[in-house]
Amino acid sequence: MNKDKEVAIIGVGMHPYGKYPEKDPRELGVHAVREALKDAGIVWKDVQAMAASCSANLGSFGWLPGHCIAQAIGETGIPIVNISNVCASGGSAIRSISAMISGGLCDVGIAVGVDIAPKGFYRALGLGNSWDYDYVRWKAVGMENPSYWALECRRRMAEFGTKEEDLALTKVVSSKHAQYNPYARYKKVFTVEEVLASPYVCSPLRLVELCPTSDGAAAVILCSIKKAHQFVNKPIILAGCSLTSASYGDPTIRIMQLSAPAQAQAPLISDAVSAFKSAYEEAGIGPEDIDFAELPDNSAWHYLVYMEAAKLCKPGEAEILLRQGDTAIGGKIPICPSGGPSSMGEAYPAQGIAQMCEMVWQLRGQAGQRQIEGATVALGQTYGMQGNSSAIIIKK
Amino acid sequence: MDNDRINVKQVSVFPEFFTWPSDDPRLVATRCKSCGYCAFPKSFSCGNPNCTNNNVEDILLSKTGKLWSWSTQYYQPPPPFIAADPYVPFAVGLVEFPEGIKILGIITGCTDPDKQLKIDMPVEVVAEKLFTDEQENEVIGWKFKPIG
Repeated sequence: MNKDKEVAIIGVGMHPYGKYPEKDPRELGVHAVREALKDAGIVWKDVQAMAASCSANLGSFGWLPGHCIAQAIGETGIPIVNISNVCASGGSAIRSISAMISGGLCDVGIAVGVDIAPKGFYRALGLGNSWDYDYVRWKAVGMENPSYWALECRRRMAEFGTKEEDLALTKVVSSKHAQYNPYARYKKVFTVEEVLASPYVCSPLRLVELCPTSDGAAAVILCSIKKAHQFVNKPIILAGCSLTSASYGDPTIRIMQLSAPAQAQAPLISDAVSAFKSAYEEAGIGPEDIDFAELPDNSAWHYLVYMEAAKLCKPGEAEILLRQGDTAIGGKIPICPSGGPSSMGEAYPAQGIAQMCEMVWQLRGQAGQRQIEGATVALGQTYGMQGNSSAIIIKK
Repeated sequence: MDNDRINVKQVSVFPEFFTWPSDDPRLVATRCKSCGYCAFPKSFSCGNPNCTNNNVEDILLSKTGKLWSWSTQYYQPPPPFIAADPYVPFAVGLVEFPEGIKILGIITGCTDPDKQLKIDMPVEVVAEKLFTDEQENEVIGWKFKPIG
């Protein structure tokens, strides 16, 4: 990108992930915004634009989260856009603000995401029409979200010889990272034996190998590079922020769908493959330059397949890196130093922004006992429900 | 009692998705006559961006396919699915048809799916009761049954 049009990250803030069924989502959102303002050393009236991620779980707040947060913190007349893009909403909000800044529409903008999720499985939200495949898959098949991942996981096990111990090991590694993250919901460290003693939800995937639905919030403040130096000496740079969708012929059986092509004419999780490729190109950075990655380990299967989509290893090699300890902090390519969605839980509107917070803390050397020494380039990527992906690269 | 049984009304869960009542129930898909693109549930439109003809027709898929993968659901799905009470874990599978499409459905005819099912084993399409709805109708859906 043209150096003058570079976008800096000057503030990040989060509300710890957990379960807060009695809380007002405004409280979580405003908490994250105020933390980000404090981190940036600016006040709310300095913010010139806001993009907020929508949640399907939260009624009127879920439609217009940005406006609800602005009302709670003080309306200033700024442009606010609310973005409904499932798991890629956070990345979409960051991308929207970044585009406003690099396009010269504003100098300082904020992206924010909040969710208070229902307990247990996500449910059908539709009205019962046969064209609403989300309703159809629940009613006619009883098909739960993680069962889609389980189908792909079992096939991967047959193709690459992935063992149940490998699936368990993803949780073990992530849980070791999460114990040091004050924002993670689960801080218990698991052993392989403990994971394998956890019941199946949808074989071959077990309860603790799946991310639960969580409540949480995250915010990030972006700034034009020329103005960023007023606030920080050496700002973190948003080097790439992509948004992609699936390609025709993608063989993945995606959540809500009833079918998928038998013969692949595009890669598995083609949306994610495209998102990584696009972010690498925008940043002028390759997979070999990445110091660590925050990936969507929504299930043990995701952990493995997203490493490959990111070209951090070749197909079938993710298990090898995992077994060698290369994905742990201190290894060659640490995955999810935050603990990832498996330890945070999924507050999907906030996910991409929460990843950004962890990436920034790591690059600034503020990650405490989970610090990756000397990290200068970080990659983040969220899972996307309907072939919907956003990848982010930041650098020092 | 016999009269009650006779009076049970059977309804299709989604009538346009599979042929029923029939001794040979089949899934209904669409295929583009120009490029071969296949869709289930059937679509009014060809979903291939490289094809500009949009020349779709309804087709009946083959009676049998191969079990591409499966998963046993150990926790009860929420409504609108109406699960057996008490809940009995059941398998869902993705079946590959010769027409070039993989389709989701419940696997029937096995008591211990994780021991009995094998990847790529042959299965056939059947129409069976899914559940009894609030109006006491027997709701019939498509399922896949291992052959042999």
